[in-house]
Amino acid sequence: MLLKNFKDNVIETKNLDFKTIIQDVSFEIRRGDYAAIIGPNGGGKSTLVKLILGLIPHDNGVIKLFGQAPSLGSLKKIGYVSQGIAKLDENFPISVHEVIKLGLIANKSLFSRITKNDLARIDHVLTKMNIQDLKDAKISELSGGQRQRVMIAKALVNQPQILILDEPNTGVDKQSQINFYALLKDLNHNENITILFITHDLGVIVDDINKVLCINQTLLACHDPRQIYHSEQLNQLYGVDAHMVCHHH
Amino acid sequence: MEIFQYTFMLKAFLAGTMIAAIASSLGMFVVVKRFSMLSDALAHISLLGVAIGFLTALSPSYSSLAFTLVASWIIEYLRQHNKLYSDSILSIFLSGSLALAIIIVSASSSFNTSLFDYLFGSIVAIDDDDIVIISLLGLICAVTLYVNFQRFLYIAFDEESAKASGINTTFLNYLLISLVSVVISVSIKIVGALLIGAMMVIPAIIAMQFSKNFKNSVTYAILIAMVSVIAGLFISYYASLPSGATIVVLLLCFFTVSILFKTKRY
Ligand SMILES: Nc1ncnc2c1ncn2[C@@H]1O[C@H](COP(=O)(O)OP(=O)(O)OP(=O)(O)O)[C@@H](O)[C@H]1O
Ligand SMILES: [Mg+2]
Repeated sequence: MLLKNFKDNVIETKNLDFKTIIQDVSFEIRRGDYAAIIGPNGGGKSTLVKLILGLIPHDNGVIKLFGQAPSLGSLKKIGYVSQGIAKLDENFPISVHEVIKLGLIANKSLFSRITKNDLARIDHVLTKMNIQDLKDAKISELSGGQRQRVMIAKALVNQPQILILDEPNTGVDKQSQINFYALLKDLNHNENITILFITHDLGVIVDDINKVLCINQTLLACHDPRQIYHSEQLNQLYGVDAHMVCHHH
Repeated sequence: MEIFQYTFMLKAFLAGTMIAAIASSLGMFVVVKRFSMLSDALAHISLLGVAIGFLTALSPSYSSLAFTLVASWIIEYLRQHNKLYSDSILSIFLSGSLALAIIIVSASSSFNTSLFDYLFGSIVAIDDDDIVIISLLGLICAVTLYVNFQRFLYIAFDEESAKASGINTTFLNYLLISLVSVVISVSIKIVGALLIGAMMVIPAIIAMQFSKNFKNSVTYAILIAMVSVIAGLFISYYASLPSGATIVVLLLCFFTVSILFKTKRY
């Protein structure tokens, strides 16, 4: 039986190396964590996520997903929103509904088609992300914030246990960001989805998250978020006398 | 109608509409992957295959199929493993294979006329074997495309996310490019190496302007391609024009109309 306080590691790396970009990175993400990855541009945040997802092969070290070596099965339990999805091909003729449907293919065998249950799931995430009215719209006609919600919907439709988001809110207005953070918090609290969130902006979510990974080539610190706020390590991380990126209201 | 009394015209309609359907639906994926020049490059490679087939007394159909397939795998390999731009890889293949084909042709001038057919396409050149091959390969392409439609779409839309979700993108990329080369090498005899690219790309470009989703785009592209082939064959028959060129000019007319129509709405 699962004890209430027992939390298994869903992502675990040990002494992970990739070229000179990622060096000796070890950390653990537990089930139910809401973790932020911060670090300067070019610090290797996206690379780290790609290593975890097996998009690029690592040189040394160990990656474990759900306590085991990464496999197709474990990838299917992860929803991923990559960086720069906002700069989509403007001419790509694909509707919101079609994009979200793509999130379901991973679990489909070669000859199985979309079922009623699948369509119900798509409707569910459309409602959850509040984009029902946009379902037939062409993706390139949407605003940045709307696109972001579509990409999250695509990641959620497969009912993942982990959600990995690589700076999904670049170019999104304040109000949409606040709604977005409320949604992430809800997913984390109420649906127990583990979240790994790359961001340059800890300000608003610092009270929601329970772990911060500071990455600049190597893992500089793995913190409780409230400690890092005034930490010396932040200076080391950004190389300059950085102060925490905060919201300017 | 008189036109249907000739079996070669019936064969042309049959082969032409089948090629139109397959080439334009594959073309849709090629276009959204920003790989439009692929079909032109492969068509020239398949021309080289034909020339080598004539030279070595192999069947030109088979040698062009073999050449195009192997070249397409090399192109895909370079695309995945090199940092070169896809379009520069393609132009190297295009001009390189054309140069080689020209050298082979000028070295042995005996088959100039039949090679000419492959350049511009010839409806009278279709024989029963071609019909069988086209139907068979067409069926294979249609089934493969149908089964992998969503996966191909995912890769075209966002290759990285597709890979991250566990889809075997490497294999599917090779599969798609193989389908494209098969279709091209069987159709150059009819449509012509210089024109098959237009047949793949133009219907897709027209269709994209008028649909908000991918499924409709593919449907429209197929319809546009089939209408152009049927109308093009009629016109070429009654006006004694070369069929491939007539079809492409028709496609260009549709394209122009679509652009005008689209621009007027804003
Ligand atoms: N495939 C690759 N091969 C070699 N080097 C790469 C590759 N991808 C990225 N890099 C380099 O790795 C470093 C880290 O890049 P990465 O994209 O992981 O940074 P990041 O922390 O996500 O930055 P940003 O905040 O700008 O998104 C950069 O110096 C980049 O140039
Ligand atoms: Mg990044």
